[in-house]
Amino acid sequence: MASSFRKRHVPVRSGGLVSSEPKSAKQELPKGVRPSPIDGRSTTSTGTRSLDGLLAGHAGLALGTSLLVEESGTTDFGGSLLRYYASEGVVQGHHVHVLGMNEVWGRDLPGLVEAVSRKTAPVEVVNERVLSGTIEGNEDAGSGTIGPGTKQVADGSGSGAGEKMKIAWRYERLGEFGPKGPSTSSSGEVFCHDFDLSKRLVLPSPSLMYFVPSTAKPDFEFRGGSTSASPFNRFLDHLITHLSASPSTALHRVVIPNLLSPALYSSEVSRPESILQFLHALRALIRKYSTQLTAMITLPLTLYPRSTGLTRWMELLNDGVLELAPFPSTAIATKSTPGASTVHEEPPQGMLKIHRLPIFHEKGGGGGEASGHGDDLAFTLSRRKGLVIKLFSLPPVEGDSEAQQGGLEHDHGKATKVDIEF
Amino acid sequence: MSSRIPPLLEPYLALPPEASLILLTSVLGASSNWLVLRFLHSTLIRPEPLSVSPRGDDTKLVLVSFMRDFAFWKENGRRLGLDLEKFASKKRFAFVDGLTGLFLPKISAVRGEENVLCSPEFATVSREIQRAIHSLKDTDEGNIVLVIDQLDLLLAAGGDEIGAVNLGEMLIGLREEAHSTILSISADYPLVSTSQTPLEKDHAALVLNISHEADFIMSLRLLDTGTARDVSGVLRVTVGDSIEQGSQGIQRRIEEKELLYFVGGDGGVKVFERGQ
Repeated sequence: MASSFRKRHVPVRSGGLVSSEPKSAKQELPKGVRPSPIDGRSTTSTGTRSLDGLLAGHAGLALGTSLLVEESGTTDFGGSLLRYYASEGVVQGHHVHVLGMNEVWGRDLPGLVEAVSRKTAPVEVVNERVLSGTIEGNEDAGSGTIGPGTKQVADGSGSGAGEKMKIAWRYERLGEFGPKGPSTSSSGEVFCHDFDLSKRLVLPSPSLMYFVPSTAKPDFEFRGGSTSASPFNRFLDHLITHLSASPSTALHRVVIPNLLSPALYSSEVSRPESILQFLHALRALIRKYSTQLTAMITLPLTLYPRSTGLTRWMELLNDGVLELAPFPSTAIATKSTPGASTVHEEPPQGMLKIHRLPIFHEKGGGGGEASGHGDDLAFTLSRRKGLVIKLFSLPPVEGDSEAQQGGLEHDHGKATKVDIEF
Repeated sequence: MSSRIPPLLEPYLALPPEASLILLTSVLGASSNWLVLRFLHSTLIRPEPLSVSPRGDDTKLVLVSFMRDFAFWKENGRRLGLDLEKFASKKRFAFVDGLTGLFLPKISAVRGEENVLCSPEFATVSREIQRAIHSLKDTDEGNIVLVIDQLDLLLAAGGDEIGAVNLGEMLIGLREEAHSTILSISADYPLVSTSQTPLEKDHAALVLNISHEADFIMSLRLLDTGTARDVSGVLRVTVGDSIEQGSQGIQRRIEEKELLYFVGGDGGVKVFERGQ
């Protein structure tokens, strides 16, 4: 079964990709890479399962593409997405290049959920189904509040149809692909790990994370030479040297938190020629190493509103554009007292808007029944499940009592009717 | 689903008259790539040689792309049955890469006969494009169509010395060399309407300039009413000023229209009227 599945995929991928023939012929994908169910191009995980599921049906971030995550307000949900993305890279043994942060950021990455870290011993063949099953069990044992979560459906073993109806429909499609995913990668590796925000990821000793600080004055050191070069040029130089030095099977992730935030960058670099040249060059690099490189960038939208031309150009230069619009914290507070029907569901913390998806919109957009583009999407960040994106549905109105009263009245009505009939 | 030229678009995609300028505008989420590919297809592969031009068969094409590399055009061209490499070897197609080397200094990416722009300066850009045009002219006579994908990037990222006026001048110089020119430019609302920062002003000026010069404009935008499963966006064809005055040839073919389009997952495109 597995081999026949593989054979069918080989011609597709060699047709879709340009320069990975030797790899695809042997079917030895690098760790953390699997072919897209749509066209077989290699994808890697963003570290957030529900975000993987949103990317136009590719079930992962296609190699050679970039993702811009915009966020308004003062929250940092986008930062969490980046941390998951970086953590996933570290766990999979990818090179992670971070711009604008120092090593402290790397020490704050979320750690693996315990069951996973035990199971990722190299020889052991881990089936995703078994794996998420154990997580499910652990969570159930640990905290009683977590009910039939998304994971159970994601691995295709969701039982009741009623439960499926409650959870975003797109996971069903993912579920079909889910069990196949491990079988296509030769060693049965996990594609997307589960992380726990309360744990810290232990970095491997020869760390593959690289940090290029944005300011020219790195932590109390005086370095006269580097003050002239813009952080972008230094970062590009760094990327070029690492990409050209590493073997062609090594994967690289570019992480750029809070691009252009004045806390990190001087005002000069936010001139259009500086930032747009950088993004264009980054795009060129990503395309050049289109089987090795992905990037994720967050942008503070309050400082660079979408109504400006500069922001629009930054969006145009990236393959995917997502916008996080967190609810005001008061809204969360009021919604955190849910009605009886939403015990299992945590209240959404904000809306997610998709402005552009990699590959999908580059081709023209359309034919993406599974994209979720145009739907109302909400996200929830929780400690164990990470950032979960699902269809937004309004919770039962706060005045639930009114509805109950209505129900009661109805009951009364019924009762009187019955009385009359008698 | 037709993967070739949608019938409704055929009159617009046919070989444009001499010295014409066609503007394609796109917005975020409604990219013009598929339309550019249709232009490549209809220019390089003419269904019937007797259609418009007696010399139709040896039409040549120079594609300058500032946002996409050759791999993208090659892959998506292949889905249309368009083998760009074959045409390149026949000297009917040349690609000028404005992505790979424009702002990346140290990469020595010389890929065969492809031209790579290495500097955003006008002189260099103009020289490289002209060289590509001349390299096709060497062999024999034939109409050369120049397609420039996202010329506006040069304006946005190029720096101070590149202004809309200078860019317009460069464009005129290039148009002299080519039979016909097709430009694709972003026309997002923040880029053309706000006009506060120099970036926005320059962009608006460029788009306005070109759209007044253009023979016709094909603008892509998203549905005004939100997204739909079976519609990717709206295609509006606007006839420019110059056509209304003279040159009845093109006027007969071109009429103003607003159509819907849908790009399938396989790259095939359906174009249809509203309500169809």
